[in-house]
Order: sequence, then C-alpha cells, then structure tokens
Amino acid sequence: MEPRIVERFKKRTVVFHWVHTLAFLMLIITGLILFVPWFGEGAAGGATRIIHRVFAVVFVVAPLFYLPLNLKQSIHFFKESFLLGKGDLGWMMAAPDYYFGGPEEKMPPQGHSNTGQKMWGQVCIGTFIVFLITGIILWFFRGDVSPGVFQWAMVFHSIAFFVAFLMLFVHVYLGVIHPRMTESLKSMLDGKVSVHYAKSHYGKWYSEVAEEGEEH
Amino acid sequence: MEISRRSFLKASGGLAGLAVCQPLVTKTAQAATDADSASHKAMLIDVTKCVGCWYCYAACKKQNGYPEVNRPTPDDPPDLAHNVWTTLHISEKDGVQRFRKQACMHCTDAACVRVCPTGALSYNELGFVQYDKEKCSGCGYCTQYCPFEIPRLDEEAISNDRIDKCTFCFSRVTAGGQTACSAACPTGAIKFGNRGELLEEGKARVTELQKDNAKASLYGDSDVLGGLHVMYVLDDAAESYGLPADPTLPAPAVVHEVIQWVGIGAFFAMVGGFSLNYLVARARIAREEKK
Repeated sequence: MEPRIVERFKKRTVVFHWVHTLAFLMLIITGLILFVPWFGEGAAGGATRIIHRVFAVVFVVAPLFYLPLNLKQSIHFFKESFLLGKGDLGWMMAAPDYYFGGPEEKMPPQGHSNTGQKMWGQVCIGTFIVFLITGIILWFFRGDVSPGVFQWAMVFHSIAFFVAFLMLFVHVYLGVIHPRMTESLKSMLDGKVSVHYAKSHYGKWYSEVAEEGEEH
Repeated sequence: MEISRRSFLKASGGLAGLAVCQPLVTKTAQAATDADSASHKAMLIDVTKCVGCWYCYAACKKQNGYPEVNRPTPDDPPDLAHNVWTTLHISEKDGVQRFRKQACMHCTDAACVRVCPTGALSYNELGFVQYDKEKCSGCGYCTQYCPFEIPRLDEEAISNDRIDKCTFCFSRVTAGGQTACSAACPTGAIKFGNRGELLEEGKARVTELQKDNAKASLYGDSDVLGGLHVMYVLDDAAESYGLPADPTLPAPAVVHEVIQWVGIGAFFAMVGGFSLNYLVARARIAREEKK
C-alpha cells in the first residue's frame, strides 16, 4: 500500500463536505417521503417537516460560513466547475470506456476536478439556488404568493430534488463503490491521496502540485 | 448470472412501477364512477332563496366547537379560516346584495385529495371529502391546489398548523342525520339529501328559473371535477358569485406526478446501470491486472 501523502483537500473542506452531506441526507430522507407516493404516511403528523426545516437551515448556513472563510478555494471551485475547455471534451469522449474498466492511459490527464466532478459541481450550485428560492417560498410565503407561484415552487423544488438526488447517487457510486476509485472516499476522510492515485486520476493537477512543491 | 440479475432488476423495477401507479389509478377510477352512486349524499344550495341570515354560519361554528354570538355584517364578511368552515360569499348586482353559502364543495375528483402526500385527505363512501387531522403534516398543498381555495391552516400556529375545512358534518351524516347548516337554514336554500335526487331537483328548479332568466344554471353536475357534492342553483354567471367557471385540477399537480414517476423510474434504471457497470468494470480491471 502506497503512503497517501499528497494533500487533495484541506481539513476544513473535509469537515464542510460531511456537514453538508449530513444536512442533505436528512433533507433527502424527510423529502423523499413526500416525493414517493407510497412513503407518504411517513410524513403524517408533521415531525419530519420540522426536521426538514432544521436541516434546511444547516444546509444553507454551512456554505455561508465556508465560502467567505475559504474565498480563494471557493472562487477556484466555481471557476473550475463552470469554465469548461477542450480537455473536458476529451474526458467526455474517453469516459464511457474508462468507467467500464477500459485502459487508463486512454483517459487524458485531468485537473483537480475531472469533467464529471465539474458537472456535479454545477448540479450542486444550480440545485442549491433552486432549493433555496423555492424552499423560502414554500416555507415562508404560502398564502402571500398566488397559488400558482406556490404550485410551481413545489414543482421546481421537486425537479431540483430529482436532479440532485440522482446525481448524488452517481457521486456516491463513483466515490465509494466503483472499482477504479480506490482512494476517493479515503481522500474525503483525511484529505490525502497517494502519488500513484494522484498521477493516474488527476495527472494534470498532480504535475502542477509537484511543480509547486519543487519551487518551495 | 449477469443476465438473471438484469432480468431480476427489470422485473423488480416493473413491479415497483405498478405499485406507484396503483393508488393513483384507484383514486381516479373511484372518482370516475362514484358521483352517481345511489349512496352519495349531497347539498343543493339555491342562491335565489338565500336571504343572508347567517344561520348556517352560526350553526356550523356551534357544531364544530367555535361558537359565535355576533352576527357578521355583510360589509365585512368573515373569510374562511381554521375556525370558520362556512361563510357567505357576498356580491352585489344593481345595488342589491346577493349571498352564496361558501364551504367545501366535496368534489368527486378532488385536487386536495390528489396532492395530499400523507393520505390525510380521502374520500368517504358517502361521497364527501374527509380528513384525518392526526395524519396531516401541515404542508398546505391542499390550501394551494384547491380550485375553490377552501382548506385552511391555522396560520398563527407555529409548526403545528393543520388542515381544517367543512367535514360535511361527518358525525351527524354518518349517524343518518343531516348537516348542521342545512338543518339551520330557515328558507330552504340549503337542502341535504341523496345526490341523485338533489340533482334532479336542481335541474327542475333551473328549468323553472330559466323561463324568466336565461342565465340560470346548475353548478356542480358531473362536468365539474367529476361532480360536486355541494351543488348550486345560480341565477347569474358563476363568476359573478365568486365561483370559477371551469374549475380544474391545477396543471402543476399533474406535472408533479409525472416528475415523481419519472424520478422513481430513473432511480431503478440507475440501480440497474450501476450494477452492470460494476460487474463489467471489475471484470475488465481484474483481467488487465493479470496480464
């Protein structure tokens, strides 16, 4: 087993990731019972509504703390997620075979996030905004906005849920289960990966890090 | 082995799909056939006979534990609320005030029942729309989807706001009695009875009114949300009495159901896809490592 010595995530990023994960999981459980018809009775009595609102606050407040305190990284994350380039086209072409166990060499070297992770970043940011706006309407403005606005807020809250939940499913599958992503979950626990993993999965990023390391 | 797993996933996905459709299908099927059922009770409200005495309002409040001693003034009629399940809608024509008793219409194909996620709202075999307050989660979807804006929640209550609306005097009616409002009505404007008979009576009354007034109509026959269990004899356009001319299930409710079904389907498709991906990727990587 190679020692995992390349820092991929800062400690506070790891903490933020898991706080946000916990909040989102609680929101999923308490929201899913409204989404899937045969789970509906789980919401009877309204206890899950209170839980949903408590974790909605955590879900919204956590990034409000994290982002300003890690401004440089956050800006980098936003830029990286939304500014796609030629390299991303290469990833998309190579991805189907790569994820079905094809040869690793055929995958062009990736930066800190590969294109799939960038897309997940886009989904997180996009659905966060939709959840936030529609959630505020559903929570605070029932009766103040017209029924039509409320109805569509509910529909878009559900669409955001649909998209975010299924993409989370992809994220968890790739991060935890996929036979190729051997260090992904570990790196989200202590923030580190091995040199081999960094080179083979994020070649472009690793060469940047290695260069910086030599300079210092 | 791989094929059997795939066909298993396919089969379980199909079964799950059926399970999703089943409650919705029965809900609609029930809605489609029941309005004409002989057992169904209903109320027929003849606005031409209403004098605005507020007896129905007072009887409703007393029956449901919110006694009220003051008669409301027509200039400031109380709105429906968690403790006001019946009120009068007041409109004016040629300087004359007109009254329409306003409460739950007990639709056959009710939007509130359809959007209620917890099953708190349901159909009674006598035709009316009943609710179980213990099951209500307070989401308020019913208040926002009802085309007549009937259900209300206690807006003052923090986090334990629950649905309230006309219950069709559940305890009185199931015991063989009539509703409190119809019992209290001194002019016969509110009649309680079997829906089929009241429908005929309403049609006859409209025919009579139409001799002098072409605008007279019956509101709530089977063309309105599968048939209402509160029908009106009107002497003017429905809108002028504050009733939607063509109430329907709001489109977002249907869009939402489609999203739910597609979402559930997509989830099972992904479970299948990931299983396949895992098996193929693991086998190929293992073969590569052997070389």
